[in-house]
Amino acid sequence: NESPLLATCLLLVAALNLEVSANGLVNEEVKRTVDLSTHLAKITAEIVLSNQGHSAVQSFILAVEEDLTPHLAYIGASVKGDEEEDGTLELQQTTIPGQSGHFYKVQLPSSLAAGAQLKAKVEMTFSHVLRPFPTHVTQAERQLVVFQGNHYLYSPYPTRSQTTRVRLASKTVESYTKLGNPSKNDEIIEYGPFRDVAPFSEDTMKIHYENNTPFLTISSITRTIEVSHWGNIAVEETIDLRHTGAVLKGPFSRYDYQRQSDSGISSVKSFKTILPASAQDVYYRDEIGNISTSHLQVLDDSVEVEVRPRFPLFGGWKTHYIIGYNLPSYEYLYTLGDQYALKMRLVDHVYDDQVIDFLTVKIILPEGARNIHVDTPYKIDRMPNQLHYTYLDTFGRPVLVATKNNLVEHHIQDVVVHYNFNKILMLQEPLLVVGAFYILFFTVIIYVRLDFAITKDPAAEVRMKVASITEQVLTLVNKRLGLYRHMDEVVNRYKQSRDTGALNSGRKTLEADHRALTNEISSLQARLKAEGSDLADKVSDVQKLDGQVKELVCRSCQEAERLVAGKVKKEAYIESEKTLTGKRQELVSRIDSLLDAL
Amino acid sequence: MKQPGWQSLLSFSILFLACLAGFSSRLFAVIRFESIIHEFDPWFNYRSTHHLTTNGFYEFLNWFDERAWYPLGRIVGGTVYPGLMVTAGLIHYVLNLLHITVHIRDVCVFLAPVFSGLTAISTFLLTRELWNQGAGLLAACFIAIVPGYISRSVAGSFDNEGIAIFALQFTYYLWVKSVKTGSVFWTIGCCLSYFYMVSAWGGYVFIINLIPLHVFVLLLMQRYSRRVYIAYSTFYIVGLVLSMQIPFVGFQPIRTSEHMAAAGVFALLQAYAFLQYLKDRLTRQEFQTLFFLGVSLAAGMVFLTVIYLTYTGLYVRLLTCYAKIHIPIIASVSEHQPTTWVSFFFDLHILVCTFPAGLWFCIKNINDERVFVALYAISAVYFAGVMVRLMLTLTPVVCMLSAVAFSSVFEHYMGDDTKREKPPEKAEEGLGPNIKSIVTMLMLMLLMMFAVHCTWVTSNAYSSPSVVLASYNHDGTRNILDDFREAYYWLRQNTDEHARVMSWWDYGYQIAGMANRTTLVDNNTWNNSHIALVGKAMSSNESAAYQIMRSLDVDYVLIIFGGVIGYSGDDINKFLWMVRIAEGEHPKDIRESDYFTPQGEFRVDKAGSPTLLNCLMYKMSYYRFGEMQVRRGALTPPGFDRTRNAEIGNKDIKFKHLEEAFTSEHWLVRIYKVKKLDNREPLDHKLRSVVPKQKYTSKKVPLMLGGEFALQVWRDSFRFS
Repeated sequence: NESPLLATCLLLVAALNLEVSANGLVNEEVKRTVDLSTHLAKITAEIVLSNQGHSAVQSFILAVEEDLTPHLAYIGASVKGDEEEDGTLELQQTTIPGQSGHFYKVQLPSSLAAGAQLKAKVEMTFSHVLRPFPTHVTQAERQLVVFQGNHYLYSPYPTRSQTTRVRLASKTVESYTKLGNPSKNDEIIEYGPFRDVAPFSEDTMKIHYENNTPFLTISSITRTIEVSHWGNIAVEETIDLRHTGAVLKGPFSRYDYQRQSDSGISSVKSFKTILPASAQDVYYRDEIGNISTSHLQVLDDSVEVEVRPRFPLFGGWKTHYIIGYNLPSYEYLYTLGDQYALKMRLVDHVYDDQVIDFLTVKIILPEGARNIHVDTPYKIDRMPNQLHYTYLDTFGRPVLVATKNNLVEHHIQDVVVHYNFNKILMLQEPLLVVGAFYILFFTVIIYVRLDFAITKDPAAEVRMKVASITEQVLTLVNKRLGLYRHMDEVVNRYKQSRDTGALNSGRKTLEADHRALTNEISSLQARLKAEGSDLADKVSDVQKLDGQVKELVCRSCQEAERLVAGKVKKEAYIESEKTLTGKRQELVSRIDSLLDAL
Repeated sequence: MKQPGWQSLLSFSILFLACLAGFSSRLFAVIRFESIIHEFDPWFNYRSTHHLTTNGFYEFLNWFDERAWYPLGRIVGGTVYPGLMVTAGLIHYVLNLLHITVHIRDVCVFLAPVFSGLTAISTFLLTRELWNQGAGLLAACFIAIVPGYISRSVAGSFDNEGIAIFALQFTYYLWVKSVKTGSVFWTIGCCLSYFYMVSAWGGYVFIINLIPLHVFVLLLMQRYSRRVYIAYSTFYIVGLVLSMQIPFVGFQPIRTSEHMAAAGVFALLQAYAFLQYLKDRLTRQEFQTLFFLGVSLAAGMVFLTVIYLTYTGLYVRLLTCYAKIHIPIIASVSEHQPTTWVSFFFDLHILVCTFPAGLWFCIKNINDERVFVALYAISAVYFAGVMVRLMLTLTPVVCMLSAVAFSSVFEHYMGDDTKREKPPEKAEEGLGPNIKSIVTMLMLMLLMMFAVHCTWVTSNAYSSPSVVLASYNHDGTRNILDDFREAYYWLRQNTDEHARVMSWWDYGYQIAGMANRTTLVDNNTWNNSHIALVGKAMSSNESAAYQIMRSLDVDYVLIIFGGVIGYSGDDINKFLWMVRIAEGEHPKDIRESDYFTPQGEFRVDKAGSPTLLNCLMYKMSYYRFGEMQVRRGALTPPGFDRTRNAEIGNKDIKFKHLEEAFTSEHWLVRIYKVKKLDNREPLDHKLRSVVPKQKYTSKKVPLMLGGEFALQVWRDSFRFS
């Protein structure tokens, strides 16, 4: 009498089967690999999917167990075509009523005809699913972790045949569930094959094993990308790092750590960060300065930084640092007229198998960028734009801010930011500098040239007046000396041409000019006297000397006349001329020395 | 007379180059290491500047720092000279207002070099007032590179002295200017500059004593004039009022003895001026001169006593020299030791020889302002002889007077070609051109050697951040020992935010600045008994120390240990000072003699005194060091201390109440965690049987046990009942 009940049960199950795989999809063969060799759980499943329904199918559904959904960092599916070209498929989250867990609808590139088969590959990465057990270890102990998962592939479709291979970090295994008598070979445990597994089957797989790989977690990272149109892109990452493995219990002994190689085996001494090949001016620092324990290696296709925190990171310890570098913008910034496109990694490599709990990306565009539009490779939360002010900014640079939780290496993908920028604006900053300097120099010129004193300094004024008068005297005296030289020329010409008229007229102009200049100088002399300057005496000396010079000039003039008239012999003339010029030279030099003293 | 354009251009460019040389020769540390704050005090200044820039000026003035001097705290706003922080904060504010986004750390690091450029300018101005332009330029060049000043103003040395020397020189310049002109304008400028000096450095007392001294000496020399009267009366009143605006100074200028000389001279000057006034009006000449003589003698006596009081006061209060006989804490600082001749030469080189010549030139052609510089020189020499640290106040005046000496010699010997031609008959006072060129060459050689020496000293002696150590391998490559920051950063990241760290006071500012943790004592050594308590904890045995540490809520203990790498400035080498300071306050518990061997030696090896070998500091320094073989392959036994060149005496060190929390890579910094009380098992087990009985014989058990033990029993009974 139990058989009807059993029958109904079977029927029910069959009905359920029918219901969920209404489109007739069946997992023919599933090869599942659970990779637990790092601190992540990477589950890949190669599924041979066959359509046993009556109509072609456009999509199929992937499922994630309820327990694991909060830890799901990445899920992706691809189809293995014959031409070995892995096509990554688009996923869309859906729900299935009455079933727990998360479901993703995978759109197939081409419809799967009835009776046809398809090879799909599903990749999922879970973070923080390996729980350290015991949670606290001493420095000498090794780190044991527990993984709790599912023996079967969680799927809305019935599975014909399935194997599960678990890859561990070490040979040492404390315990593992023994469903279907699995075989263990070094680091690998093989489950299955399981035949005819019902849809939504769950059976807890629990593995407790030793895992000393670095349990590093980036609890938060802020990545700032600052674009300059002067040819530089500055990238800065502020990173909070934490060791999320088993917490260190008791003392930390440096002696043991230095002397015994397996002491603190689960601790992290250093890791490698791979930067883009064109990265320059790399810096690695924190609040209190450079972290001097790092090394930089420039390779052909990348720049490797050996990031060594100031202290080794044991379980539960954390650190914080900033790493930054410059990139040439021509590799990442594309332009067409006024339109620009920045193509950069939204998040970059920090260490292998990285886990980022919280990411903030800030992209600082140049001042004046408009029509900003962002294409992200996956969904991220955009925050309201901010403004950033730095060197010579006036109205601020737009900053795009975006955040996302739970990221792994698969999220290292490019983001594209499109915007418009008027190239004229590039000149704004140099012009600002030029303008500032212009104003500075102009003010200095104004200040030096104009008198801003509110009181008058009579002494200084007199000094300035005297200075201007002496200046005038100087020019006048020089002019007067010039007259004599001119007269000499007239006399010389006369000696050749014997034109008395020219000589007389020359003499007259000399007389007239000389009188005018002398009068002017004496009036200046009077003014100097009025100002009370002792320079007036010197000027009067000059005047006296000048009178003598004038006399000499006249004498030489008369001598020349007498020569022309034949009243003196040539030799005698030359003789007298010599003495005259000698005397004149002396007088002129005395005048000059007086003038110098003025 | 107006200078020709080329001459002012030349002066300008020489001055500019001097500033540039001064700035760039201070950058050795930044180029070799990084832009980082040096030493100890600058870390506090940096921390307060950071507080100022993040929280604003009023918040800074009211800042009560609960992270220092736990559990007392420190009113920072009222116990600092805020000039330095305000200057850096203001520069940072202005730059950020112009959207020049400079980090406050970089402002702080480069502040001292920038101000040394300004010092060169103010020294130029002062020397120009005293002598001439040429001497001014020489003085600017000297002060730009002289090691005595560089020692306090390299990039990263963010300390009061860096800006104070500029303020000092500028105040003196304005003072000389106001004595020369007798104009209130210059005097007010002088007061403002004095105000800045007061806000920046405790050394302002030097100004407020030197200026009255100058006035007094002018009076004695019968050089009284209306200009001096105007300048000093204005300076004293305005300067007094301004200086009282600084919270840390407060009413000191009218209360303390070191300010009394200024007041005395002020009164004297008023009396003198009044008598001068009367002299013009009164006719009874003889009576008046008698009166005048009597009064000035009396006033002079008063002033001399005041001066006497002042300088003894200076000793005690500011320059802290007298105190070292009484307070070991001041004597324990190396920069408070008397200066040796070597360090005079080291810091000033040739200038120390030439500056008396300059002084002689000044005295030979004396006038009002040269009286001032002579007094400046004499007092500064005296103070510099008393304490190494005050070399700093001597340096500027040495530069100025040496510049005067060099300038006069060059003027005399280099001669102007045009000048020589003019009186060709005079035969140049018997100096042939050969002698001239030889003397000039020699002088230039001296100057060249001076420049070389300055660069060498700056590069080798004064350009180490001391936070980061560097060692050089045989092939010239450099190893950076970054242990201090390693440990401080570990504290910052991996301890509770309110954890209290006990360390010797030297490291207080650094722990507060770099680790951002609460400290018990720091470099602001205002509370001697608190420091003595820490010293007592370090020099007691573990259980006694544990009592003290419990009562002070200590979570971590940080010590510096140089035995692995041979770093001599570690805590074991400072240990005797801790013992002495502790003994000063707790003579019953700590005796210095206990830490010496019977032969009176301080030894860490087997022959060392058992008190030393079991005290907390010793145990923390050498915990597990006994297993360590320092020089690999060499003959040294395990536990060989490289600093003291001895094999340690106590290799079996176990802790009951502490555990090692962190040790830096080269063991330079060791941090221990103080365990909570719960870990005391032996007592607990014994008492478990006692507890039920306790209910009936409640008071007798404590009486039988007595003292400290009774208290614990009493406490435990609470826990279990």
